[in-house]
Amino acid sequence: MNGASSAGGRALILVVERDPHVRELEAYFLEEAGFDVEFADDGEAAMQRAFDLKPEIVITEILVPKLDGLALCRRLKESDELDGVRVLIFSILAAAGRAREAGADAFLVKPLAEHTLVETVRRLIREDGANRRGGAE
Amino acid sequence: MSDGNGNGTRGGVSDFDTPRPEDVRITTGSSQTDRVLGGGFPANSINIIMGEPGTGKTVFAEQLVFHNANGDRPILYLTTLSEPLTKVVRYLQRFDFFDPEKLGTEVIYDEVGTELAEEGVEALVPKVRERIKAIGPQIIVIDSFKALHDIAPSMAHMRRVVHDLAGLLTAYNTTAFLIGEYPESQPATLPEFVVADGIVELLRHSEGVRDERFFRVRKLRGSSFRQGMHALELSKSGVQVYRRLVSPAEPPDYTVKRQRVETGVTGLDDMLGGGLWRGTTTLLAGPTGAGKTTIGLQFVLDGVRRGEPGLYLHLEENPTQLASLIESFGGDPTDERLHTLYFSPVELQIDRFIDTVFGLIRNQGVRRIVLDAVGDLVTAAPDTQRLHDYLYALSQHFAVNGVTAMMTFETARPGITGVYRIDAPFSHLSDNIVLLEVRLDEDQSRRRVRILKTRGSRHDPVVREIRISEKGIEVVKSK
Repeated sequence: MNGASSAGGRALILVVERDPHVRELEAYFLEEAGFDVEFADDGEAAMQRAFDLKPEIVITEILVPKLDGLALCRRLKESDELDGVRVLIFSILAAAGRAREAGADAFLVKPLAEHTLVETVRRLIREDGANRRGGAE
Repeated sequence: MSDGNGNGTRGGVSDFDTPRPEDVRITTGSSQTDRVLGGGFPANSINIIMGEPGTGKTVFAEQLVFHNANGDRPILYLTTLSEPLTKVVRYLQRFDFFDPEKLGTEVIYDEVGTELAEEGVEALVPKVRERIKAIGPQIIVIDSFKALHDIAPSMAHMRRVVHDLAGLLTAYNTTAFLIGEYPESQPATLPEFVVADGIVELLRHSEGVRDERFFRVRKLRGSSFRQGMHALELSKSGVQVYRRLVSPAEPPDYTVKRQRVETGVTGLDDMLGGGLWRGTTTLLAGPTGAGKTTIGLQFVLDGVRRGEPGLYLHLEENPTQLASLIESFGGDPTDERLHTLYFSPVELQIDRFIDTVFGLIRNQGVRRIVLDAVGDLVTAAPDTQRLHDYLYALSQHFAVNGVTAMMTFETARPGITGVYRIDAPFSHLSDNIVLLEVRLDEDQSRRRVRILKTRGSRHDPVVREIRISEKGIEVVKSK
């Protein structure tokens, strides 16, 4: 994994979300939990930002313009440059099966429940660390 | 209400579980109200609790709040521009559901009135957002929401605020209740009515000198609910709703209950073709003094002797008089299979009455019921159509549950033609009609019985003499 951390050692999360209320609450609760958060408005912009920022985790809604969250997930997972990026699909749609098929590492349905969101993000980061240690052995 | 993550409600279902958000419900703190709502308010919904002043909206909301305060996540009760917070909390302490231990920790009262007065209606959404970030409430109550209209410079303005608030409340894992003194005639065009998933209404109708309270669900998105007006009582315990009686979902099946039930009146069963069919309802009509109460009591006591729990509902005889009558007919007023229930026709609330009857059928296995007298119900019920619907549904429930019932009805004495008129508005709802007659001769009263109708059975068409003794009534054998 080539995921970036900020200067303070905080893991970087890229959130792909258009709803201003979800964005604000997501940013607040994730930052409170010790993560850095960046945003993208649509799937294509998210792809570009992912290349630029190399986030540890991408959290995406399915219903985003230009490139939907499921297609975005597939592309992120296919990219050699973003090898190992973890994807959490966080959607208003109850589409757990489709998220799994797209290669997502986790799925959460809205509305935002801060404890579950933060715990899921932490679990993905722990698993990522374990995978890397496993790969190095 | 917990998903195991300390989050309650539907938000945050993870690990690819398929969520079923409609299954998660918020209890009102009253099982009957929950049943009207199909199990409670769907979680993560926005709901309006509406009603004119004094209908019990705030009590309804506070009862819900304290029943859901479970130490998981706090509940926010936000007052706006109507009653001062101190007044709301002071009044709250009178109710049984109030728990001072929960105040300030699990139930957090806050007010936004000052900000609203200074900054206008725009102050609401930032306040709610700030509270969400600070305490993460599982339920948010805003009381009064309608009062916000008074400070909004225009409806367009209010519409923007409501849209913004709905966006915030939908984004976060919370269930919201907006309380408002909206009148019953309020058209659902206000912006909050448009965004609401659920709208429930508390009503008060005046009929003569009596006020009757009702609960009605106007809308409940994504859920079935029981329609119509359900009686509501306000007491120290809070709000109690009695579900409107409707016919059973499955129609009665007479074929599986082809069993005769003896009346306990010597000779009457022969006239009825061998007794009453189990699960049928019989109208026992006649003028005063004809023997209706006596036959009704004999019927219930005969069942008790056979091991069938019975219920005698009386609106005329007071409990002491009734106990004396029971003893005189060889019954034991203290027998645990014999249930007697007295309702004052003056203060009778039909929904509570029905609820009590069903409770006894369900919990005590009552198989025989006498309602003495159904005419008193007609007098007591402000809404005769409602009573008519109830009696029909009641007879259907009796049929489904195998409960054999008698309803007494007092007729006027016959006129000069000697013809009795059965003008009970529900006589057609009865399976059987037994008419008792009294003929006043010069030196004595002669009583007779006539079977007018038996559904699904032949009956004796002959009018027969009856005799009343201290042991009860019997049909006199033909010589």
